[in-house]
Amino acid sequence: MSDALDSLRQEVRDWLAVHAPKDWRARSTSEAAFLELQRSWFTTLVKGGYAVPHWPENWPGGGRSLAEQKVIYEELARADTPRLLLSFMSTYHAASTLFEWGSEEQQQRYIPRILEGEIWCQGFSEPGAGSDLAALRTRAERRPSFSGGGDVYVVNGQKLWSTMGQFADQCLLLVRTSSEGVKQAGLTYLLLDLKSPGVTARPIHQIHGDEEFAEIFLDNVEIPVANRLGEEGQGWAVAQSTLSSERGLTLLELSARMRGALWRIGDLIRANGRSEDAGVLRDFGRLASKVDATCAVADQFLANRIAGEERVGDASIVKLAYSRTLREFTSLGLRISGLDAQYHAPITFGGGMETGNWMADFMNSYAWTIAGGSDEVQRNIIAERLLGMPREPKNWVVKEGAA
Amino acid sequence: MSMTRAELQDAATKAFDGDLTPDAAHSWNLITDMGWLMMAVPEDQGGLGLGREAVGVIHQALGRTLVAGPAIAQMLVIDALSAAGGQDELLGRAMAGEIMSASLAEGLRAVPDADRASHVLRVEAGRISLLPVEGLALTARATWDKTRRLFDVDAGDAVGVVLAQGDAATALADRLSALRSVALAGDCLGGADAALAMTTDYLETRRQFDRPLALFQALKHRVADMKAALAAAQALFWARTEDSAADAVTMGAMKAHAASIYRLIAEEAIQLHGGIGLTMEHPCHLFLKRATLNAALGGDGDQWEEAAGRRALNA
Repeated sequence: MSDALDSLRQEVRDWLAVHAPKDWRARSTSEAAFLELQRSWFTTLVKGGYAVPHWPENWPGGGRSLAEQKVIYEELARADTPRLLLSFMSTYHAASTLFEWGSEEQQQRYIPRILEGEIWCQGFSEPGAGSDLAALRTRAERRPSFSGGGDVYVVNGQKLWSTMGQFADQCLLLVRTSSEGVKQAGLTYLLLDLKSPGVTARPIHQIHGDEEFAEIFLDNVEIPVANRLGEEGQGWAVAQSTLSSERGLTLLELSARMRGALWRIGDLIRANGRSEDAGVLRDFGRLASKVDATCAVADQFLANRIAGEERVGDASIVKLAYSRTLREFTSLGLRISGLDAQYHAPITFGGGMETGNWMADFMNSYAWTIAGGSDEVQRNIIAERLLGMPREPKNWVVKEGAA
Repeated sequence: MSMTRAELQDAATKAFDGDLTPDAAHSWNLITDMGWLMMAVPEDQGGLGLGREAVGVIHQALGRTLVAGPAIAQMLVIDALSAAGGQDELLGRAMAGEIMSASLAEGLRAVPDADRASHVLRVEAGRISLLPVEGLALTARATWDKTRRLFDVDAGDAVGVVLAQGDAATALADRLSALRSVALAGDCLGGADAALAMTTDYLETRRQFDRPLALFQALKHRVADMKAALAAAQALFWARTEDSAADAVTMGAMKAHAASIYRLIAEEAIQLHGGIGLTMEHPCHLFLKRATLNAALGGDGDQWEEAAGRRALNA
C-alpha cells in the first residue's frame, strides 16, 4: 500500500475519531430519530469532504480514486458509523446518471442540491416488473402543457420498492412511451419532482417492521419534457448507468461491517452459556471463515476493477457470496438466541444488517437475497456471462390457456 | 516476491498441461527439476525464497491434474530442515528430490510414499526429528484415492536427527501444520477448479430433451453456486497465504473451508454428470476421492472449525 493511501487512512481515522456519531444505535429507535441521524451525519460528511469521494473532481468532495474510496469506506466500516441510507440513491444513482446523461443545465440544477440534502429515489420496479424490469407498464404520453411552456409527459402507473421513496424529493423514473418493438426500446427516462400533483408515496411495511421502501402511485402526473434524460426511447440505456452506478464499494463495506459484527455472535454464545459447546463453536468458526472469504472476494473484485481486469459476472459473485453469508450469519444468531429471539423487540432504524435483534436481522437479510438483483438473477449472470453457458431462449411464450 | 503469482501460475500450468493423473515418476522429476520443492526455502539456503503464496500456486497446479507423489510431505521435511538450520547436507539432498516423507495426519500415520523414502519426519510433543526409514516397520494402507500412496510407520523409539526440541519444537510443529494446510488447501482448490470446468464442459456437450443440459436453469444455478463458492474460497486462500501472521489455526480453518468447497464441487460434479459420473472410466470419482481424503488429512473440519470458533469467541 502506498504512503499516500496510508496517510489518507490516518487522516480519515483521525477525522472519524472526532466526528463519527457515538452511541447512535441506542438513539435510533424511531423513524424521526433515524431521519435526523441520517441527515446530520450526511451533512457532517459533506463538510469533512468524505460524502461523495466517487464524484468527478470538478465537484466538491469528489475526485478520489477507487483505491482512495476503498480506504474511506473501510474506515467508515471500522468506525461503525451509520451507513448513508437516506442519501445513497442521491449520491450514487442520481448523481452518476446525471453525470453521464444530464445536460450542463440539468447537472448545475440538481447536483449541488444533493450536497444540500435533497433526496432522490428510484422509480423502476413495478408490481408486474421485478426481475423482468423491461416489462414495466407505467405510461407516459407527450402533449402540450395547458399551463404554457413546453411539452409535458403525462404519467400514469405504479412504482414499487423505491428505497426511501417516502422521504424523497426527486425520483429517477423509468416509463413506457411506446409499446412498439422490443420492450426495452419503448422506455424513456424522466426526472420527477415528487411534490408534483398526482404523486402519492406510501411506505411498504417490511416483515421485520422497518419501512425502508415505498410504493409510488402516479395519477396524471405532468413532467416537463425538459426533465428527460437521454432521448425518448433511450430509457433502457440510461437506466443501465443508474443500475451500474455503484459496484463493489457497498459490498466491500457491508462485508467489512459483517466481519466487524462477529463479536455479536461471540457475545451471544457467552451469554447463553454455550462457550464450551463444540457444535456451536464449529458453526461459529465455519461462519467466521465464510465471512473472511466474503471480505476477501469483495476485496479481490475491487482490486481487479482498479486494475481494469473486471469481468462481466464478477460483481454477481460478490453479491451472491455476501447475501448467502449474511443469511448464515443471521441464522446462526437466530438459532443460538433461541426463544429470546422470538420475543418481539423494537428494531433499530438504519442500524445495519447485524443489530443483534436476531429475528429482525434474519428477516432483514432477505433484502439482500432479493433486492438489487435477486440471487437467482445473479446465478443466471454467473452461469451465462461468466461461465459462458448458453443463454435462455428469449421467445418463450406460454400459449393462451396452457398454463 | 520476485516472480509474480501469474508468472508462476503460468509456468505451473505449462508443466502440467491438463492431462489428469500424469505419470508419477515423470511428475516427480518435473517437480524437482523446476525447483518447486525449494520454493519457500530462503535463498541463502539454496532455495527460491518465495514464501507461502508460491507454495499455494504449486499445490493448486498439482491438485488441478491430480498429480501423484509425496510433494506435500517432502515440502514439510524441507521446511523443517530449513527452519532447524545446520542441516545443509540433508536439506540439499531433499531439495534435489531424494524422497523424505512426513505424516499428513498425526503421529506417523498417513505418510506418503514411505517405501520410497530415505527419511521420515517425526513430530512429537516437544521434539521433531528426522528418522532414516531403513529398519522401520511400514504398513501400506490402500486408500480409495489411488492418486496417493499412504503408509503407517512404526518407528518404535528411534530418534534419528533431532531438529527441534521444547518450545522450538512446538513452534516448528505449528509452522509445519500451517504449511501443510496451505498445501492441502491449494490442492483442494486446484482440484475443485478442474472439476467445475469439467462439469460445465459436460453440461454444454451432453444433450437430453433435444437441448444441451446447460440450458436448464435448475442445473445452471447449481453451477453458479459452485463457481461463487469457489471464487470466495480462492480469494480467502490468497488473502491468507499472503498474510505472514496467519498461524496454524487460521490456515487450518482456511484448509477446512477449501476442503468443504472441494467436496461440494466434486459431489455436484458426479451428480451433474449423471450415470457416466458413477463409472471408473470417467474421472469424476478421482476428484471425489481426493477431496474426501484431503478433508480428512491435516486435521479435519471439526477440529479446525472448533479451534477457529474458539478463537473468534476470544477475539
